[in-house]
Amino acid sequence: MRIEKCYFCSTNVYPGHGSAFVRNDAKVFRFCTSKCHKNFKMKRNPRKVRWTKAFRKAAGKEMTIDSTIEFEKRRNVPVRYDRDLIQTTVKAMKRVGEIRARRERAFFKHRMAAAREKQKAHRKRALDGAKLDVKLHLPTSAESSQTKTKILVPVKANSALIQGDGHSMGMETD
Amino acid sequence: MIGLKGTLNCIDNSGALLVECVNVLKNKVNNGWGSVGDEIVVVVQKARPVSAAAQASVNAVKVRRGDVRRAVIVRTRKPVRRPDGSYIRFDDNAAVLLNNKKEMLGTRIGGMVSADLRLKGWGKIVSLAPRVV
Repeated sequence: MRIEKCYFCSTNVYPGHGSAFVRNDAKVFRFCTSKCHKNFKMKRNPRKVRWTKAFRKAAGKEMTIDSTIEFEKRRNVPVRYDRDLIQTTVKAMKRVGEIRARRERAFFKHRMAAAREKQKAHRKRALDGAKLDVKLHLPTSAESSQTKTKILVPVKANSALIQGDGHSMGMETD
Repeated sequence: MIGLKGTLNCIDNSGALLVECVNVLKNKVNNGWGSVGDEIVVVVQKARPVSAAAQASVNAVKVRRGDVRRAVIVRTRKPVRRPDGSYIRFDDNAAVLLNNKKEMLGTRIGGMVSADLRLKGWGKIVSLAPRVV
């Protein structure tokens, strides 16, 4: 038994879950859900679909170069059971997970800090542009506001939508 | 999902290339469709051409166009449920020709086969296949 990765979104596919497609050259494509399978059938590229792991990694939204990621690997040689080895492995897994979570948080913070700077600069630029526009249009807009008068539109009393006067949509009673 | 008139690729070296299903050999009470591991009766629609030299040799082409033979389905496009609950589907429908004793007509298999065959008692075919998926 081994935990496979979904071809499309790279989530874990546990035994008994998902489906697999075998191409004629014997390459196996595993899918976690029908959603991923359907996207594959639509010939979508996982690197271009925003919710997949492949996209996030390609777009620099997730940590890609890190020693903690190296621990997760396909091992094709079975290891003989050893109680001590298993114990240390389990301990190491927990520790690696902790370190990884911490590094991911740091990565996210760093990424968000950069994004915030970018957004600030963008907002500033937008604000400056808006100020310039106001200055240009101020005289013309002031003139037009003086000449503007309110035009009253008479409301139709005998509308079918307004009740009363016998024209309403209600039942007629004589 | 192989039924009457369903065409399959023949992936052994019996000489047939394309076969057409004319009967699925099972009780068709609930589900009459043939799946991986089911035996079917086929008509050879396309076969490798027979040359005089090849006919004399041991590896002679054994079937011709129009022959009626038994076959076993080894791959299907329709997803097949594995005992662990996952599903597997292939790119095409494929079969291997058999003789009357349910032995393979050819001596070699030229493509991968489904691992479900072993469960259905076609271990010989699985052992001959270059890839089992």
